[in-house]
Amino acid sequence: MLKSINILVGALGGDGGGVLCDWIVSAAHSQGLGVQATQIPGVAQRTGATTYYLEVMPARGPAPAVLALNPAIGEVDVALATELLEAGRMIFNGFVTPDRTTLIASTHRVLAIGERAAMGDGSFDVGRLLRAVKERSKAQILFDMDQAAEESGGVINAVLLGALAGSGKLPIGDAAFEAAIREGGKAIDTNLAAFAFGRAHARGELEQAVREHRKRQSAGQGVEDLIERARQEFPASSLDIVEEGVRRLTTYQDRRYATLYLDRLRGFDPALVRDVARHLAVRMSFEDVIRVAQAKTSAERFARVRAEVRAKPHEPVELTEHFKPGNEEIAAILPPWAARWLMARAKFHISMHIRSTTIWGFARLRFLAGLRWWRPYTHRFIEEQAEIERWLQAIRSAQSLSPDFAREIAELARLVKGYGDTYARGLGNYRRISVEIIAPALAGRLAPSKAADAVANARVAALADPEGESLSRTLAAIAA
Amino acid sequence: MLDQPQLPVSQRTNPERSFKEEVRALRLGDGEVFRGEGILAVTKAILQAGVSYVGGYQGAPVSHLVDVLVESQDLLDELGVHLETCTNESSAAALLGASINYPIRGCVTWKSIVGTNVAADALSNLASPGVIGGALIVVGEDYGEGASVIQERAHAYALKSSVWLMDPRPSLPTIVNCTEKAFELSEATNTPVMMELRIRACHVTGEFVAKDNKPPAISRNARLAEPALHNYDRISHPPSTYAHEKIKVEVRQPAAERFIVEHGLNEFFVGDRSDLGIIVQGGITNVLMRGLDRLEVEGKIPTLVLNVTHPLVGDQIADFCRSKRAVLIVEEGAPDYIEQAIHALLRKRDIGTKIYGKDVLPMAGEYTAEVVTEGLLKFLALSANDIDLSGPRQRFEAARAGRAEAQRLLGGPLPLRPPGFCVGCPERPVFSAIKLLEREVGKVHISSDIGCHSFATLAPFNLGNSILGFGMSLAAAGAVAPVLQKRTISVMGDGGFWHNGLLSGVASSMFNRGDRVLIIMQNGYTSATGAQFIPNTAGNRRDGETTSDIAATLKAMGVKWLRTIRTYNVATMLGSLREAMNTKEGGLKVIVADGECQLARQRRIRPQIAAQLKRGERVVRTRYGVDDEVCTGDHSCIRLSGCPSLVVKPSPDPLRTDPVASVNNGCVGCGLCGEVADAAVLCPSFYKADIVQNATWWDRLVWRLRSAVIGAMAGA
Repeated sequence: MLKSINILVGALGGDGGGVLCDWIVSAAHSQGLGVQATQIPGVAQRTGATTYYLEVMPARGPAPAVLALNPAIGEVDVALATELLEAGRMIFNGFVTPDRTTLIASTHRVLAIGERAAMGDGSFDVGRLLRAVKERSKAQILFDMDQAAEESGGVINAVLLGALAGSGKLPIGDAAFEAAIREGGKAIDTNLAAFAFGRAHARGELEQAVREHRKRQSAGQGVEDLIERARQEFPASSLDIVEEGVRRLTTYQDRRYATLYLDRLRGFDPALVRDVARHLAVRMSFEDVIRVAQAKTSAERFARVRAEVRAKPHEPVELTEHFKPGNEEIAAILPPWAARWLMARAKFHISMHIRSTTIWGFARLRFLAGLRWWRPYTHRFIEEQAEIERWLQAIRSAQSLSPDFAREIAELARLVKGYGDTYARGLGNYRRISVEIIAPALAGRLAPSKAADAVANARVAALADPEGESLSRTLAAIAA
Repeated sequence: MLDQPQLPVSQRTNPERSFKEEVRALRLGDGEVFRGEGILAVTKAILQAGVSYVGGYQGAPVSHLVDVLVESQDLLDELGVHLETCTNESSAAALLGASINYPIRGCVTWKSIVGTNVAADALSNLASPGVIGGALIVVGEDYGEGASVIQERAHAYALKSSVWLMDPRPSLPTIVNCTEKAFELSEATNTPVMMELRIRACHVTGEFVAKDNKPPAISRNARLAEPALHNYDRISHPPSTYAHEKIKVEVRQPAAERFIVEHGLNEFFVGDRSDLGIIVQGGITNVLMRGLDRLEVEGKIPTLVLNVTHPLVGDQIADFCRSKRAVLIVEEGAPDYIEQAIHALLRKRDIGTKIYGKDVLPMAGEYTAEVVTEGLLKFLALSANDIDLSGPRQRFEAARAGRAEAQRLLGGPLPLRPPGFCVGCPERPVFSAIKLLEREVGKVHISSDIGCHSFATLAPFNLGNSILGFGMSLAAAGAVAPVLQKRTISVMGDGGFWHNGLLSGVASSMFNRGDRVLIIMQNGYTSATGAQFIPNTAGNRRDGETTSDIAATLKAMGVKWLRTIRTYNVATMLGSLREAMNTKEGGLKVIVADGECQLARQRRIRPQIAAQLKRGERVVRTRYGVDDEVCTGDHSCIRLSGCPSLVVKPSPDPLRTDPVASVNNGCVGCGLCGEVADAAVLCPSFYKADIVQNATWWDRLVWRLRSAVIGAMAGA
């Protein structure tokens, strides 16, 4: 009795999983092969994950009276996935097995809401996914199908169909699949193109340029002498960071500020320089209104945005910036006495939508960006420098007690970021940890090695939930 | 902001998807091969059985039955079949009242168990007097993986109302045969017949040889001159109801059992072993057969497939079990009605066959391949240890061990990916506003409902304290509001409102002077199910007029505090919510959150825009974005929005590690992320980009002038 070829498809709502099944079913019919497909679309709605299950008879002739509607662990011949985590899910559920299943999956990631909403980097470990994909399947066809779909102008389900055709796992020729796509009647050309891309990738006939995210160096010119000084004073391992710091702070403020950056970096253990240099440069270029205006009016920003929104060369683009400055943001660029007065007033916010592509809109932002010379006299600048000095001092004194503890104090700066509530919450958590762990440890009331772990745990807890509950629990546990 | 162009009549087909092929398939005639899904085969079968009327309330997994007929108006006109898209399942069940007095066949359909719950009263009032025209109720048993409702069995209703229940084996020829025979069974026993199809049966692909559609003898095209005469026996009122109850068990049930045997509705799969047997519900035959095949015992154990699960035919069961030592009952879900009935039946007939069932198979939960295999292994170990199952058992254990190893390798549960709001959904901003409201007034008791807005009970919003069923959110807050200091908020869709929320919630709350807040999501469709049309949809397919307006209805019912707010204005919505929570004014406060379902809107305007572009007309495309130089990677915007196009990407800043927020090209320019950043005072990273396509010469002149001046300023 002939055994069916069992196919399980994992896809997101909107990927066209249902149409993919229709194509496979109609292609099988056209070859006179018995075929049955079913699906459970209730939860596939709107980007949810779902599965589709098909059984195709390998040759003509009578199919068994009853084909299965449910996939069984250890009995799936071909698994298709339109996204890497969904491939991982089929493995996790035991449907993809090393003795039997050929896994055809896209390597791109669409982060689930839980991964995106995390305060730090909440994405699932891709290394684990790829390792499980390779070790827990019999054969793999892996490439970025999202990129292939984009390059071909078609939809990802057509790329996946092409990869299935290219895998040779079904006794169905390419022509039958292409006929099924034509029969579907929608976006035939682009889907045929996507089909061809998928098939070429599956047969290794097409190289895929890996799209990786390049870091963007700061522009800062005229700092060759400072760079040269950095090269003499600091270990080679930290130079990439220190040089970027110099260029960044020169653009952010001026050469004198970059020189202060180098002065502040002196006196640290070589092993600590790289971490301290990274966080120090970030803290010294805190995000006040002037910096935001600088970013919004930089020459290369408009070119970058045009590319991001895929504006064609001859298409004008009008940008509207969303600002909502309040007492804090305005007080930040006032002298300290004026800032304290304004901060004491009732809280207010002004919603501003500035069209930065108009002359008047751009001029206003340009004017703000031009206040760099005034920044050293502002309330926020003075506060930040004081905070930085306390932080550097804490690291220096911790250095002699335990390098790990010193590094954790440096790493704690990661909490200080963002605007408005985010900044207030981050700074508040930073200060709480400083007062409740770092100060006692420096005063000898807490063993330095214990303090290092405590600060690390507290930092992770601070990034766990915005409400700060896990931080409170962690601090209470440490205090106990 | 989004403008709302009036819906042109011509483009108002069902926005979720078009059913051109399926509509064509309904016209197939004698000998032609029908290919398609199970639920569509049922639709063809009822036309072949000569129904005079069809009704229902769409819901997964049976939505496509009514959806396809809604697009087949010309075919229905030719046949004279009346189609009614009922406002809820009880009105659909009441439709079958036509078959009490007139020999006309009718079919209604809904999602079960929830639809059956709503329809139960009409169903009882129909079953008591019975019918003279065939009455078929197709219920989609939304059970197991892929379901979205409470897990209960429709079987219970068949038992208590003495309505017959079919559970056909999921193969199209069997489903079609059962559908046609259901009408005959109904007429032969004057009893409505329910047919349950699980999710995988509704969507199973297959084929069958079609027959010509049968125009009903009595229909819209062939109307009766006179109505039926008064006949008190057909009235669900005493003393007729006393007689009905006896007739059900003394006359109709025996007739049903005879019909089932005479027409061979249940199937027998032969097996070599004479001492063993299996009795299975038709709907889960496939997973059983594959389980037997996996254990290499297929064709060894005789199997009785119950395509009709109520009534059981006493003699058929007894004859099947009498000669056997042990029989396994494979019945999915709790309680085990069939197993209990068979135990009693055999006991009364002194048949000593050992019955296995829920002792070797789980009482509750879907019978997946793994569950059935484990159950069969236990059954065969207890009742037939002469069969060597060591090979299959070893393979089964190896597959399980492999899964455990895979889970160890993956290290912990994978991120869940539940359904969520679409890109640019009009309902998402309301929940962003509620999240911001809770920052001011603290946690609020929220009674949720069924619909796309149920997705707010999931990340990133995690809002909602209860769901009491479709349209029941306001009623569910009735006894909570009086015992809380803070007012409650009930969220209801316009679908739920017309389904029953209007009466169970609004009318009851007004009548009882309830001091509560109700948000009605007016997106213009029953969106979650597939954007079917409802009374406030801008125009329907028949005549393009909107039937009823929600705000007007509420005013007519006496609601004083009433606001209609465009949902995308998060700040305005937050202001109205704040006022509703704090106003001294008592009574019901209703916010009609207005915004067309984005999925339906995009499907409508995308072809229109493509045509405009082709004609060279000026079209402004709006899209939002995040400045990755300004974003510091805290993601609070994602926690307050969760839009699928608001994603994260590695930070371009060499000195930072946390990924930054980014808007991908799925963005439809609804503006929520900008609004949320504004209302919650998050950060200045968001920008709105208006891309002018087919720019006029004036656009280009202004643009060149501005670019030149800005270029100079930027250079300085």
